[in-house]
Amino acid sequence: MRARSTLLLLLPGLAFLLVGFLLPAVAMLFAPPGVTFAQVLERMGAMLTDPYDLGIIWRTVRIGLVVTAICVVLGFPIASLLARSQSRWAGVLLALAIFPLLLSNVVRTFGWLVVLGSNGVIGQILTGLGIVEEAPQLLYTELAIVLGLVQLFLPLAVITCYSAVAQVDPGLDEAARGLGASRTRSFWTILVPLSLPGIVVAATLVFAGSVTAYTTPYLLGGSSQRMLSTQLFSYASVTVDWAAASATAIVMTVLVFLVSGISALVGRKGAIS
Amino acid sequence: MSGPTIQTRTRSLKLRHPVAGTLAVAGYVVMIVPILFVVATAFTAGSTLRFPPEGLSLKWFGEALAYSPFMEAVVSSLELAVLATALALALGVPVTLAIHRGRIPGKGLLEGLFLSPLVVPELVVGLALYQQLMIGLHLDNFTTLLLGHTALLLPYAVRVTGASLALADPALEEAARGLGASPLRAFVTVTLPMLRPGLISAGLLGFVTSFNNVPLSLLLQTRDFRTLPVTMLDYVQQSYDPMVAAASTLVLAATVVVAIVAERTVGFAKIFGGINR
Repeated sequence: MRARSTLLLLLPGLAFLLVGFLLPAVAMLFAPPGVTFAQVLERMGAMLTDPYDLGIIWRTVRIGLVVTAICVVLGFPIASLLARSQSRWAGVLLALAIFPLLLSNVVRTFGWLVVLGSNGVIGQILTGLGIVEEAPQLLYTELAIVLGLVQLFLPLAVITCYSAVAQVDPGLDEAARGLGASRTRSFWTILVPLSLPGIVVAATLVFAGSVTAYTTPYLLGGSSQRMLSTQLFSYASVTVDWAAASATAIVMTVLVFLVSGISALVGRKGAIS
Repeated sequence: MSGPTIQTRTRSLKLRHPVAGTLAVAGYVVMIVPILFVVATAFTAGSTLRFPPEGLSLKWFGEALAYSPFMEAVVSSLELAVLATALALALGVPVTLAIHRGRIPGKGLLEGLFLSPLVVPELVVGLALYQQLMIGLHLDNFTTLLLGHTALLLPYAVRVTGASLALADPALEEAARGLGASPLRAFVTVTLPMLRPGLISAGLLGFVTSFNNVPLSLLLQTRDFRTLPVTMLDYVQQSYDPMVAAASTLVLAATVVVAIVAERTVGFAKIFGGINR
């Protein structure tokens, strides 16, 4: 392909990316309307010392880590089970695990209102069985956010781990078993280490998704359990504090970049060894 | 995935290990059960989101279909998703061709640039577009939403059609050229058919992503043009009745249709596997 036609193919896409994404993003960081970059930095400094703001950052990170851990612990067994089975049911179960990815987050998160709400399933069961007098407050807690996010990101963990496990030769498993290793031992010494790069990718995707998700903390956390995303929205649309909104946006973006960077390093190390 | 390894796989779906089996079951419960409760409560005859539902009725479906903000939002969301997907493909496929077939330095960097909207949190992109395009440049919210969604879908268009193009043998196109076909004709008759699975995947993925998007769209809503997920989100926050359960169930039913189409055309495990690599 000639250089000129290559350039012609690239130009519209590049121009679009510049106008629709890159320029606005850069402009927002350095010059939000009516605010200087110095003010954004000052606000960010205040954020990193204020106990309330720090609490929100820490809650966001903590929830992200817990959700990531749960998604890997639940997702990897599902993925290895499905990737190692030839049963027709495995295809159905894989489809069932991936299907939620097509479904609106609003619909998926709404389910937890039905389950955890004051008239919800769990409350009804607990009071119906006489275990508690009054249904416990389950909504607007960190637990609710964690459950909602696990539901949201588990399919992503499953499909990412699935492609990792599918690339590990099942013959290695069989060989280890033939040489006398137990199922547990061959799982930990063969399958897990060999699919580690995929597990790292899954963990990164889940963490980045969890710390930036909006729908779930908005519906299940309410205003008492603020995360960076809900706080950012409130700065931008309720209090219209552009400096604070930009500062929050920077903190959130840096968090995601940091974790992606660390996992890229870990992944590279894993690939060498 | 094929060849001699097949025999060594278990034919039945045995839960090989009790701990792994328990974890897998727990995972499915978390993924699926809340969705089933949404469907169950949608059929209630009562007026609260209570489980078990008080009697069976289809009345909330009627209410949802008659509620004009939802119906207008469905049309808006469809319009936006179709346009954004078409635009992302129209811009992204040429980029893919340039990256894979052109002789240019810094291909990795260029691809990274086009994937970058995936890395920046969507809420942050939404904030940037709201501040700079809607407030700063006074663009209307539909145009801003369209720009934002297209930027969001570009990575899918470039990555997923790129995976398809990587599998297509350039020698076939050269052979067509050697036999006298013009570059355009060689592209249309040889390369494009090989790209079809990628185009379908990217199209479906783009459509679904745009249609369901909340974080990027959230700040870009106005009374004139509102998308469905954001309208539903607001409704849930104001009133807590089974109408949203009914609306959700309708969305679920439509999604099942999309899933079946996806499964029949490319296989949706493949569609969703394509973007993560």
